[in-house]
Amino acid sequence: MINRTHVHCTVNGDEVDFLATDSTSLLDALRTELGLTGVKEGCGTGDCGACSITVDGALNCACLMFAPEAEGREIGTVEGIAQGDHLHPLQETFLEGAALQCGICTPGFLVAAKVLLDENPTPTETEIRYALAGNLCRCTGYDKIIHAVQEAAVQLNGAKS
Amino acid sequence: MSLDPTSVAGGVGQSHIRRDADDKVTGAATYPGDRVPVDALHAVVVFTAQPHARLVSLDVAPAEAVDGVVTVVTAADVPVNEYGLTMFDQPVLIGLDDTGRSDVRCDVSRWEADHLAIVIAHTRAAAEEGAAALAVEWEPLPLVPDVESARRDLVLVHAETAPSNTYYEMAITKGDIEAGWAAADVVIEGRYELPHQEHAYLQVEAGTAWIDDEGRVTVETSGQWTHEDREQIAHALDLPEDRVRVIYATIGGAFGGKEDMSLQIVLALAARKLADLGISRPVHCRWSREESIVGHHKRHRATIEARLGATRDGRITAVEADVWLDAGAYNYTSNKVLGNAHLSVAGAYEVPNARIDSRAVYTHSVPGGAFRGFGGPQGAFVAETQMNKLAEVLGMDPIELRRRNMLREGSIGITQEPLPPGVGLPEVIEACAERAPTDGPRQPVPPFRSVASLPTGVDDPAIVRGRGFAAGMKNVGFSFGFPERCEAEIHFHGDAGDDRPTSVDVFHGGAEVGQGNHAAILQMTADIAGVDVDRVRGHFSDTAVSGDSGSASASRLTFMAGNSVLGAAEEAEKAWRDGARPAIGAFRYVPPPTETLDPETGAGQPNFSYGYMAQVVDVSVDTLTGHIRVDRVVSAHDVGRAINPELVKGQIEGAVVQAHGYVLSEHLVVDEGRIRNPRLSQYLIPGIGDVPTEVESVILELGDPIGPWGARGVAEMPYITYAPAVIAAVHDATGVWFDTFPLTPSRVLAGLRDGAADPL
Repeated sequence: MINRTHVHCTVNGDEVDFLATDSTSLLDALRTELGLTGVKEGCGTGDCGACSITVDGALNCACLMFAPEAEGREIGTVEGIAQGDHLHPLQETFLEGAALQCGICTPGFLVAAKVLLDENPTPTETEIRYALAGNLCRCTGYDKIIHAVQEAAVQLNGAKS
Repeated sequence: MSLDPTSVAGGVGQSHIRRDADDKVTGAATYPGDRVPVDALHAVVVFTAQPHARLVSLDVAPAEAVDGVVTVVTAADVPVNEYGLTMFDQPVLIGLDDTGRSDVRCDVSRWEADHLAIVIAHTRAAAEEGAAALAVEWEPLPLVPDVESARRDLVLVHAETAPSNTYYEMAITKGDIEAGWAAADVVIEGRYELPHQEHAYLQVEAGTAWIDDEGRVTVETSGQWTHEDREQIAHALDLPEDRVRVIYATIGGAFGGKEDMSLQIVLALAARKLADLGISRPVHCRWSREESIVGHHKRHRATIEARLGATRDGRITAVEADVWLDAGAYNYTSNKVLGNAHLSVAGAYEVPNARIDSRAVYTHSVPGGAFRGFGGPQGAFVAETQMNKLAEVLGMDPIELRRRNMLREGSIGITQEPLPPGVGLPEVIEACAERAPTDGPRQPVPPFRSVASLPTGVDDPAIVRGRGFAAGMKNVGFSFGFPERCEAEIHFHGDAGDDRPTSVDVFHGGAEVGQGNHAAILQMTADIAGVDVDRVRGHFSDTAVSGDSGSASASRLTFMAGNSVLGAAEEAEKAWRDGARPAIGAFRYVPPPTETLDPETGAGQPNFSYGYMAQVVDVSVDTLTGHIRVDRVVSAHDVGRAINPELVKGQIEGAVVQAHGYVLSEHLVVDEGRIRNPRLSQYLIPGIGDVPTEVESVILELGDPIGPWGARGVAEMPYITYAPAVIAAVHDATGVWFDTFPLTPSRVLAGLRDGAADPL
């Protein structure tokens, strides 16, 4: 039998345990062991950003991590962005601004954009482009994505003041 | 923009939020690779990795001996070992066994991604181990890697069925070509090399197959036309079509790249083999990005030679062109793509005298096939670049040159038939001229220096700027006499005393590849039924419940689905007035017929509708580094009617950026029949930092007389004119014409040095 490692970590605020081989990617573990298929695989080589997640708050490609590296870490995925039925402003502005088409890159963009806005509530357009440079989209042309992030920043800042 | 918002919420002309968006922002939307049943077996499709070789022996026993491997599917398991969307020329599996009822020789691999076997196992890892254990022996055969060598016919790619590699030809002769040259004061000549392009949809091919409760071989995957997939599967498996079911999960982009078969037939074969073995478990397969790039067709590589004659005052007198498309190892849809390149190489102009000869040529390269524009980008690139060169030689404004030649209402097209009524070309050209006249002032742009270690300055003399223009047209719907149709079924629900339905069901096969087609169908249904869109339920893309829609391609689906919805709603309305509850209407829309063209003159009516477009592009070129930035794009379109204006805008912005990659960065390396850069780190599609700084979408709603609510199509049009507009802008900035692309920095620098483009 193949050796499997026991991994204990936090995913979207919940403590979870799963088994994974040393060569299993964190992407595969999240998708198959935990059923978090919102984390997409677009390339498996860290080029497209569809599998963007947070690890202790920092942006990462799940396909570039081995599952056992999640031990003791706090993992965040697209499934954790909404609070129950209450969508995050980024999700609302992506909806309202038609900032998605096929939508398979959308989870990665949302995770990356949330990391940006958590760190920098008032990003410039250039800062948004830098923050999302690791995420590829083949449908939208990106313009509506930039507008959605800008609009979400306005809404979040409005909510705070 | 939309003129009269209708009374229902989410009706036609409203930018209603698409219904699938909610699941797409929460991660709940499931694509084929996300839908793996817990009891699924896993399949690996083994590629031959042989661009041209004869199979000497194949022993599956070592694979079947691998722990966890369940079975291996080979050519012996394929009842009719052939497929092909428009001609059967491709074996499903390469093998030594007979090909069942097919005449296609199956013991020769003609493409590195020909399929050899399907290994099915309990885990993906075991299937991969089994695939590696197959014992295969090949005898290498001589290769024709490109059109130039294929045209010599020393080696035939399909010796049994095609006596020449140049297997499909089209011709146009119009007027008197010699008189055309005699009348010309100026002649422009060019030879153009157009590159491959990879679709690079973010969702790689995947799917699951099983035998459903009614005994149907069922494949759940992504594609562009469920009924075509079903037909191809049924043909290869030798089953009646109603014994096959095709369902689409959420589709992650297609762009033409999912119009052909990838996993559809092999998954069906796998499910059937398991059933034959008495194993009632579903089977799942997904390709890696590398398998996807190697394993599906591309936009055709093309060589086009062209001559354009005109008088001193800019009237076109003659057009000549020779077009060669690299079809690759199998036809796919090359014969149809060729037709579009063939027509569009004449441009959207009145051409009195013409000779055009176009050919599709087999090679041992990756097949060419459908990709947004479908031959239009190659043809229109040449037509528009020739026109822009003509404007330069004549010293004439390129927009004024178009005014003197453009097709308008009642014009006779290159196929000697009048254009279908509603020619919006003059209006889109003028829309561009108003917003960005050729000699008009440029908007200020931020400093541009692509390499951070070099200094940046607003007035840096090494940064040169230019403006380019292009215009064109693209057919909506299938061409050349193909039996075009689209079906819809609509149910009105309510009580006997209800004036209007309280809810509506619409059944439709139209593939939602990301473009928003389902949103458009729901909005159109709501509008015609007179109910809010939230009361309309959609039942989509399952051959068990939805009719034949035709494909999500050719910018046709809004037009065709809209007309089918209108017809079905009219039928349902009659039943409703007759008191039926539910009131059911079913309708099959058939547009005006099109014709195959005369083989010698090309005369005939090829299409029933067109969309018209014009674009202006401003660029900055860094002459130190060769980098190009697109500062501004004006993209003007007659869409007839914008069913959902925000989604139309999304199509324009997305098409522009996909074309941006085509002309500036996407460089597929195909060498000796093998793709050498099958990764997104090596094949560079535009990222968020690479795209045009500003895209202004100009949406004109001039109305197609036979379009639903006047709608035409828009998906391909913004793509087609972009590359020639960029090339013209780069010429305006640098004085250099690039007759080949992508304009990578090294190619730009070489062109600036030599005054012309080098091959990469």
